[in-house]
Amino acid sequence: MKQKERFWRIALLFLPLAVFGVFVVWPLLDTFYYSFTNWNGFSRDYRFVGLDNFAGVVTDRLFTNATVNTLIWTALAIVLPTAGGLTLALMLDTQVPGAKAFKSVFYLPICLAAVVVGQIWIWIYQPDWGLLNAAITAVTGSPPAFAWLAEPESALYSVIVAWSWQQMGLAMVIFLAGLTSIPTYLLEAAEIEGASRGQRIRHVVLALLRPATVVAVALSVINSLKAFDILFIMTGGGPFHSSDTLAMYMYSESFKKYRIGYGSSISVILFLMTLSVITVYFRQLKKLDELYD
Amino acid sequence: MTDGATATTPTTPTTPATPATPATPATPRRRRLSGWTGVLLVCLTVLALLFLTPTVGVILSALKSTRDIAFGTLWAIPRTLDLSNFAVALAHPSVKFYFVNTFLVTAPATAGSITLGILAGYVFSKLPFRGSEILFLVIVSGMFFPPQIILIPLFRLFNRLGLLDTLWPMIIVHIAMGIPICTLLMRNFFATVPAALREAAIVEGASEWRVLTGVALPVSLPALAVLGTLQFTWIWNDFLWPLIFTQSDNKRTIMLGIVSLRGQYTVAWGVQGALSLLASLPTLLVFLFFQRYFIAGMTMGAVKG
Repeated sequence: MKQKERFWRIALLFLPLAVFGVFVVWPLLDTFYYSFTNWNGFSRDYRFVGLDNFAGVVTDRLFTNATVNTLIWTALAIVLPTAGGLTLALMLDTQVPGAKAFKSVFYLPICLAAVVVGQIWIWIYQPDWGLLNAAITAVTGSPPAFAWLAEPESALYSVIVAWSWQQMGLAMVIFLAGLTSIPTYLLEAAEIEGASRGQRIRHVVLALLRPATVVAVALSVINSLKAFDILFIMTGGGPFHSSDTLAMYMYSESFKKYRIGYGSSISVILFLMTLSVITVYFRQLKKLDELYD
Repeated sequence: MTDGATATTPTTPTTPATPATPATPATPRRRRLSGWTGVLLVCLTVLALLFLTPTVGVILSALKSTRDIAFGTLWAIPRTLDLSNFAVALAHPSVKFYFVNTFLVTAPATAGSITLGILAGYVFSKLPFRGSEILFLVIVSGMFFPPQIILIPLFRLFNRLGLLDTLWPMIIVHIAMGIPICTLLMRNFFATVPAALREAAIVEGASEWRVLTGVALPVSLPALAVLGTLQFTWIWNDFLWPLIFTQSDNKRTIMLGIVSLRGQYTVAWGVQGALSLLASLPTLLVFLFFQRYFIAGMTMGAVKG
């Protein structure tokens, strides 16, 4: 019996573990390895440079710039989609008619490709005939002139707005899932005790939504560390690196400048950042499980 | 409140609105349409319209000529229904390749990742061993890392294997990167199959494979639907891997194709819009038909550890 179980364990796990090991884990270890070398991608001889790449990162102004942009991106990606998603979820978790249709509308952008989302928003920001400038003209009367994606001061934020539009639905469903797990009797009890609508939301709903909030925030952070496609399509990190994030910067260092060793060290840093967020996330999930069990 | 039923059942709007019976399992949170509901409805409608605007923009662009768009009438409702942009997009010699390639990557990669997830998920749920919890966590955490961090080694690996500029790297990488979410969801689903059921079958002489395919899988059809919609959407929409692994035009997938066609000045804006719509059609249809599963998958993948 025991032997049979062991056979099946190995037989069933072999393929998934082999594929995962060869195409995910091993490349990850390889990235660590390259991060200590000065490999350029083609030459046969490269050498170990120890921590030189990581030391280089510290003084690299473009790296600092990309890190700051990633932090800005992450902060806004937490505030805009998460707060927006929470607001939408609170509005939809009432007996409002048509809630289901509204949910679909807010959720729809999630299933669109980054390429398509980028395309749509490039047209919204288009300086001559884009919707945004047209709307500004309609309100102020002055002719439109601002090239949202081509100006260093607005490029990053313009992409973040597009990103938030796409991601808000995800935060919304996470909060909706959290809301359905709040027992109605708690709200009724609060109502009987004379709590106002605002007090009920603040002291009962939001307090009990804390685990869902942690999940939504952690996911925002993780997703912003991944953010690549939409930036690549909308700005390519430009103008003048003004919308470079770490993921974008790593790509251009490795595949445009062929500094594979250096790019790998940026990957390692990105890995460590993600790892720290995941640790917090898994810990909170455990608490969440204990809470509902 | 007699039991915890309310916590798990979502909403049951058919319950008669009898105010003073807290014992009914699902008392509606509010009993009448108040002024609040009206305000909410107005706010939600405005927000929904704002949310739909970008999508409507693409639809409008697909129905207009470059001249119309350049003269600033992109956002006006067209007077006549002009579908020529779609015809031009579909007649473009590369577009056929793009769609065929995308399908040739998406179908096997979706099926492959789910199959491997089933195998691993079964072991983690029904045949746990020492250290299996940790192994499971390691695999699942693969879901959260930026794929870019393994990009260089993968490029090198497929270069050595001589597979660059074929569809294989995309298929293989999507299968590998799909293992975390598929394993997670399948394990959670298999966990609902009672252990006694498996033991009874084993005692009667059935193999683990029989239990997996004959007992566990049939009850896990919803999980398969969830994973099918999720994986299909993600793989179809992917941009990064084709960008790295393909060079020639006839190996590109549709998302990369849209971007590369955009770089050619010969392709009109309206045609790009039409192509974007055509490229989104499969995932939009999947979303509309399997919305329930899609949302369930996104939330489960996000919330359940």
